[in-house]
Amino acid sequence: MEKVGIVGYFYVKMKPELDYGRYDLVFETVRGALDSAGLKKKDLTTVISCTNDYYDGRTISNAFCVEPGGSYLVDESKIEMDGPHAVLYALMRILSGNHKLALVWAGSTPSCFPYDSTQLYMTDPTWERPTELLNQMVSGGLQMKAYMNKYGIKVEDIAKVAVKNHKNAAKNELANPEAQLPNISINDVLKSDVMSDPVTELMYAQPCDGMAALLLAPEKQALKITENPVWIKGVGWNQETYYLGDRNLHESKAMELASKMAFKSAGITAKDVDVAELFEHFAHEELIFAEAIGFAEKGKGSKLNSEINGDLPINPSGGAIGGNAPCATGLIRMIEAVKQLQGKAQGHQVKDAKIAVASGQVGFCAQNSILYVLEKGGN
Amino acid sequence: MSEKLIIANKGMVRAEFSFWVGRYMDKFYDALEKKKLIGNKCTKCGDVFVPPRKICGKCNVTIPLDENWVNLPDTGTLKNFTTTFYKVNERGTRKVKKPQIIGLVNIDKSNTAFLNKILNMEPEEVKIGMKLKIDWNEKTKGDPSDINGFVKA
Repeated sequence: MEKVGIVGYFYVKMKPELDYGRYDLVFETVRGALDSAGLKKKDLTTVISCTNDYYDGRTISNAFCVEPGGSYLVDESKIEMDGPHAVLYALMRILSGNHKLALVWAGSTPSCFPYDSTQLYMTDPTWERPTELLNQMVSGGLQMKAYMNKYGIKVEDIAKVAVKNHKNAAKNELANPEAQLPNISINDVLKSDVMSDPVTELMYAQPCDGMAALLLAPEKQALKITENPVWIKGVGWNQETYYLGDRNLHESKAMELASKMAFKSAGITAKDVDVAELFEHFAHEELIFAEAIGFAEKGKGSKLNSEINGDLPINPSGGAIGGNAPCATGLIRMIEAVKQLQGKAQGHQVKDAKIAVASGQVGFCAQNSILYVLEKGGN
Repeated sequence: MSEKLIIANKGMVRAEFSFWVGRYMDKFYDALEKKKLIGNKCTKCGDVFVPPRKICGKCNVTIPLDENWVNLPDTGTLKNFTTTFYKVNERGTRKVKKPQIIGLVNIDKSNTAFLNKILNMEPEEVKIGMKLKIDWNEKTKGDPSDINGFVKA
């Protein structure tokens, strides 16, 4: 693949409830990304936004974000999945040779809408929706039980992931304050409210308000903009069937195939990865993904030392448990991976990372997964 | 001057969607009204789907509307379950008094599982692999409400 560089990024401090409007939020984020690269609105040649009509409470919701989103009289399209899917679109536009600078912005404000009810709109409208039995929490409960049952995993091993991510979030100044828990214990996780058994409140990536933006440029242009771009070395994506009853919930076939594709296009293997930022909707999902990507054998994800100074750090930023702003969550994983490669992750920086992976997902039990391989550029 | 925040603006729009269930689900709901469960079988791999499908995604073939229907029992095996303490159709903060058990049940003689309530059991009694049967609604209407949930077989 030709080299495409990440040349700028920004995301706002996540909060359960941001005290300003959606347009201000979009504007601050987009300006933040342009400022980080020392660029101006006029430098943008294409824009991809990533939001969800249900989350925005209106249809064709990008129509209202032309001015704050940097797309005033610029070609713009919207993706209604996770941020990394929008990056895919931007990447293709850059690779077409027609664009010099692409902006991706993504996010939502769950403080304004009932997140779990909107999840019900994702279900099969005639057979499942009338029964009102399925949302993200319920799907997480089924997935965790399937994983524990298949491999005989203890609930403590899963709580350990939640502890790690909440502690890491405490070191990341942009994480959701409610998720920043430096003194959390396994017992705290197990004793927190049961949401959908065996998933407890502290194992769940609680939705919060947030917005993120990323700038992409072709190699030549990227090197003009910055001395240390991060290169997109490879990407893979895949999806499983919608119905949970058709799938093996103890594994992620979609992530398995996505990572295979990403590693193939990057010409590397899982062993070459120094740090991973994965969008885990629940603590157990991080383990399922780690196994699907090949960081650990099936059922052995919890044996991996994934702490910041561990064998393979996973979610040093705190992951989605540290802050889950729907549509932005995967894009924030990418930004955090970029920060790690540039040595800009401050309190949660891992040592000497040269290659990182970052993932996004959509659907129940991560029906669709996408994984990027990112490589440190410059010095 | 007092400060007033507008937090909600109820719009004037009513635009409800009428979903077409399709010919396959139409047959399924007709059977459901008679308290019978039917599925259909992929012409290539032989997988039996309940509810029925027009297309087998794995084989990428159409299952003909007039063929390959399978009469199924109203019994099955519990593949997986969860107990939820929150209302599914409301904000996540709305706790319920009595937790709801939701299971994925593999209907006997079929290859897929579907989601429904597990009834008349305490969460501790429910075990993966247990045999269950449909608890039918007394008055059926030919829609998902015909099934109250699953009970011990």
